[in-house]
Amino acid sequence: MSAGASDSAVGVKLVSHFATVEQQKRAAVLGMWAWLLTELLLFAGLFLTALILRLLHPEAVQEAARHLKFWIGAINTVVLIGSSLTMSGAIQLSRLGWQRGMVRFMLATAALGTLFLLLKGYEYYADYQEHMMPFLSDRPYELKDSPPSRLFVNLYYVATSLHGLHLMTGITILLVMTWQASRPGFLGQHQNRIEIFGLYWHFIDLIWILAFPTLYVLNR
Amino acid sequence: MNPTDLALQLWPAAASATAVETDWLILAFTVLTLLLTVPVFVAITWFAIRYRQGEEADRSHGNVRSVLIEISWMLIPFLLTLIFFVWGARLFFISKQVPGDAMVIEAIGRQWMWKFQHPTGQSEINDLHLPIGQPIKIRMISQDVIHNLYLPALRMQMATLPDRYTELWFKADRTGSYRLYCSEYCGTDHSKMDGNLTLMTQADYAAWLQNAGAQQGGQAGAGRVVYESYGCGACHDPGAKVRAPALAGLYGREVRLADGRTVTADETYLRDKILNPNRQKLAADYKQVMPAFRNVIPPDDLDRLVSYLKSTGATAQQEAKP
Amino acid sequence: MTSGTITDGPALREPHTPDSRLGHGADYLHAEHTLRSWFFTTDHKRIALLYLASITAFFVIGAVTAGLVRLALVVPDGQVFTNDTYNKLFTIHGVVMVWFFLIPSIPATFGNFLIPLMIGARDLAFPKLNLASWYVFMTGALFTLASVVLGGVDTGWTFYTPLSTAFSNTWVVPALIGVTIVGFSSILTGLNFVVTIHTMRAPGMTWFRLPIFVWTHYATSLIFLLATPVITVALILLIAERAFHIGVFDPAYGGDPVLFQHLFWFYSHPAVYIMVLPGMGVISEIVPAFAQKKLFGYKFVAYAAIGLASVTFFVWGHHMFVNGQSDFASVAFSVLSFAVAVPSAVKVYNWTATIHKGSLKLDTPMLYAMGYIGLFVLGGLTGLYLATLAINQHVHATYFVVAHFHYIMVGGTVLAFLGGLHFWWPKITGRMYIEAWGRISAFLIFIGFNVTFFPQFILGYLGMPRRYHVYPPEFQFLNILSSAGSTILAVGYLFPMVYLVYSIWFGKRAPANPWDAKGLEWTVPSPPPAHNFLTEPVAPKVPYDYPLQAQETGRQHS
Repeated sequence: MSAGASDSAVGVKLVSHFATVEQQKRAAVLGMWAWLLTELLLFAGLFLTALILRLLHPEAVQEAARHLKFWIGAINTVVLIGSSLTMSGAIQLSRLGWQRGMVRFMLATAALGTLFLLLKGYEYYADYQEHMMPFLSDRPYELKDSPPSRLFVNLYYVATSLHGLHLMTGITILLVMTWQASRPGFLGQHQNRIEIFGLYWHFIDLIWILAFPTLYVLNR
Repeated sequence: MNPTDLALQLWPAAASATAVETDWLILAFTVLTLLLTVPVFVAITWFAIRYRQGEEADRSHGNVRSVLIEISWMLIPFLLTLIFFVWGARLFFISKQVPGDAMVIEAIGRQWMWKFQHPTGQSEINDLHLPIGQPIKIRMISQDVIHNLYLPALRMQMATLPDRYTELWFKADRTGSYRLYCSEYCGTDHSKMDGNLTLMTQADYAAWLQNAGAQQGGQAGAGRVVYESYGCGACHDPGAKVRAPALAGLYGREVRLADGRTVTADETYLRDKILNPNRQKLAADYKQVMPAFRNVIPPDDLDRLVSYLKSTGATAQQEAKP
Repeated sequence: MTSGTITDGPALREPHTPDSRLGHGADYLHAEHTLRSWFFTTDHKRIALLYLASITAFFVIGAVTAGLVRLALVVPDGQVFTNDTYNKLFTIHGVVMVWFFLIPSIPATFGNFLIPLMIGARDLAFPKLNLASWYVFMTGALFTLASVVLGGVDTGWTFYTPLSTAFSNTWVVPALIGVTIVGFSSILTGLNFVVTIHTMRAPGMTWFRLPIFVWTHYATSLIFLLATPVITVALILLIAERAFHIGVFDPAYGGDPVLFQHLFWFYSHPAVYIMVLPGMGVISEIVPAFAQKKLFGYKFVAYAAIGLASVTFFVWGHHMFVNGQSDFASVAFSVLSFAVAVPSAVKVYNWTATIHKGSLKLDTPMLYAMGYIGLFVLGGLTGLYLATLAINQHVHATYFVVAHFHYIMVGGTVLAFLGGLHFWWPKITGRMYIEAWGRISAFLIFIGFNVTFFPQFILGYLGMPRRYHVYPPEFQFLNILSSAGSTILAVGYLFPMVYLVYSIWFGKRAPANPWDAKGLEWTVPSPPPAHNFLTEPVAPKVPYDYPLQAQETGRQHS
């Protein structure tokens, strides 16, 4: 990374137990990658279960998947890819030390993330209207004649809500960081936090890019 | 041989050719294990004495070809143990290929009992009577959680799953009484989900089917299922939490009541006590805690339950006589 | 990572002085005294002690329940407890011992304490994350203990469906939540170790100069990172299944109860190596130190650790040979299990070869190490019996399995833990324990362990199923023998708890290197200073640079 090479206002402050800034930055990047690897395996377990279900009960899964709101899913995919783009923009600007632009890009990222959650929430609401929530004991399930379809629908909720939880965490961290980053001197001390967070944000995006075909597209 | 005669047993009975071969496999593997481990134990002890600090000993080191040593002490034990992998896999595959002429026993596992049904229709609970010299396939399923039918005398076990049939087969060649267990932990009374496997000659088996088998498999056998499904055992089984009178051998006995009278436990008494236990005829020394089963137990279930209770009376008397 | 000042590190380039008291500020134990300085510390050494205290408490809970289980089994007809109580007891024993003692035991205590010292770092890469992982651990433990207090769990530590999801009437959900949370603590610890070992090594500390202890912890951390998320997702699905009946494991909706077993063992078999590998690391430190001889086949052992950690991901199916798995899958899992068990069992040859022509001191850590070698090789090879398909059909889910994994986990992990505790106790506390007591307890534990668990091999072969409260009377003699052995074992465990605690206040002061051992952790005073190194650590040219060594040809050590 050539961060800060051209502009003295951009850099990373050394924490005492590291010997060099270079070491500290490497540790942070590697740490985030290790964490993302773990997360990837977490979701991989879910997606694998979804695929096994599809192999076991293809008709029921297809029938259930017809009730998914494909277009909301597709729009949400675009929204998240857009947010990854704005996040990349924020990272580029942070390297240049252009703080105000960076903050704006970060706010745009958070806004797109929130838009995703709103659309997702609307989708859940529509599912509720259509009696597509089999785990609610007081609300009859639309496809009750096809028990295996319940599995798929429930798994869909587990996977998407877990993804939503990650996104919500991401937005919270992003907003806190935007607030910190808007203060003077931030880029001089903690520029690498933007990069590290960027990795996490792209990862949430990636999970959705895997979830969308696994749940929505493959079963149409 | 009756297994309960002994407090200490060191060699399990083997009742089939496969069981005997499994024993040989285990024995041979044990010899290999000893060959691989005893030198380590001896060497450690010997080195600990020989090379203790302060002891005079030759500690000079020549060249050691460590790669060669490492590879050989990894590869040689691995290849030796592979013999046992192949042997074990062969036996395993034999135990998976069911002969076409096998007699089929249907087994159902449920919390906490086994139900076996013979091809001729008779069924029994927890105990299993089978002929020797004839391939037998047990086809099984569970009604609730995962169980595991374990027949140690045949060195065989197989899980019963709630959603699909599993099977195991064997051909026994020694008569006798052996144990059978549930070996997959299945809840409260997991350890009581066991019984006896009685292996007998073909002639004895045919006779058993005609006599005892028919009796057990009829109303009484079905009654045992009723007994379990209504949870009677939770109070009435020996060792249950709630103290209630034991029911084995009750039928036909004199019962002293709390008000001082004595009645014979006949069929009417049993029926009354089940349908409306809180009316008058409370047995002495017991509290009135049993719920009434009137309008709870359908008449045919009640009939079966009563014949089961009668049959336990018969067994208890038979056992008492000699 | 927020606070901190720009610094060059403490006083570099001072002459190297191995003496323990230089008057260079207080050691880590005496640097601060407030309760706050302990519970909000980011010092890896103090966090290690927090872990040590907590896992000791869990060990006591696990051991007491084990004692009660053995007490119940003295009589065959189950008159000591009700069946439900017995089932809850062995469940608590299993859950607490596996998730709250064995898995964190060596990594979270010695790994935390020693990895930075051994590689010449001031701390782990993420000290705050390290503290957080202890809090996560304690939160998870609290949930599990809550389930015990509320009335217990009776599913066994394996939580098999559908028993755990639809049939058990006990407090399964809090227990599951607890175990799930503890998983995150493992992940954070593993992450910290991987990053630390990759980025924080002192100048000159190349990979092949690292002690085997660090190698095995690196391998363990990889398992933490790659396997734990799978159990997390399995447990999340299990919780959802129990709470909302989502149906994934429920055959009524077309779900598959055996799928849970696959997900469970995909983690839990590698988890065995989470317990075993750190133990191998400890033994690989103790044996060379007390033989004063270089570890035999250093590179080989290092590669083996990584190799074992990889292959262990592909053997989970050997827990399901008789559970309706396809026969060809069973054969594949069987042969892969041989491929992983043999190399780990023959590690004992490396330690034996290290002792050969050494100069042996038979102090307490070495006695534990020798006990470990004996028990571990038996545990490893009996694992091969279980991996052999035809034998597995007989002894699966019997006491043979119970004996086998106790030889691995007690004979392996616990003995290594105790050996390591005695080995590094002077370094951790700055005090020496009374040697004679140490040797007595090592003997008691070795004898007590064998009397307890060897009869269980025979019981299993005779066909006694595990988790049986009521058992046939012909098994009573061996069960009494086993229970008798457990009392010896209990006394053996009690001794160290007393004399080690005693030594903290009354023990002799320990020198920096009481065992003449090699390794960077012995170059600093006992107890180490708060910032670990007073002078910049100098990596040794060769690991295990002991006076005696075989001239190994055919490979060079860089």
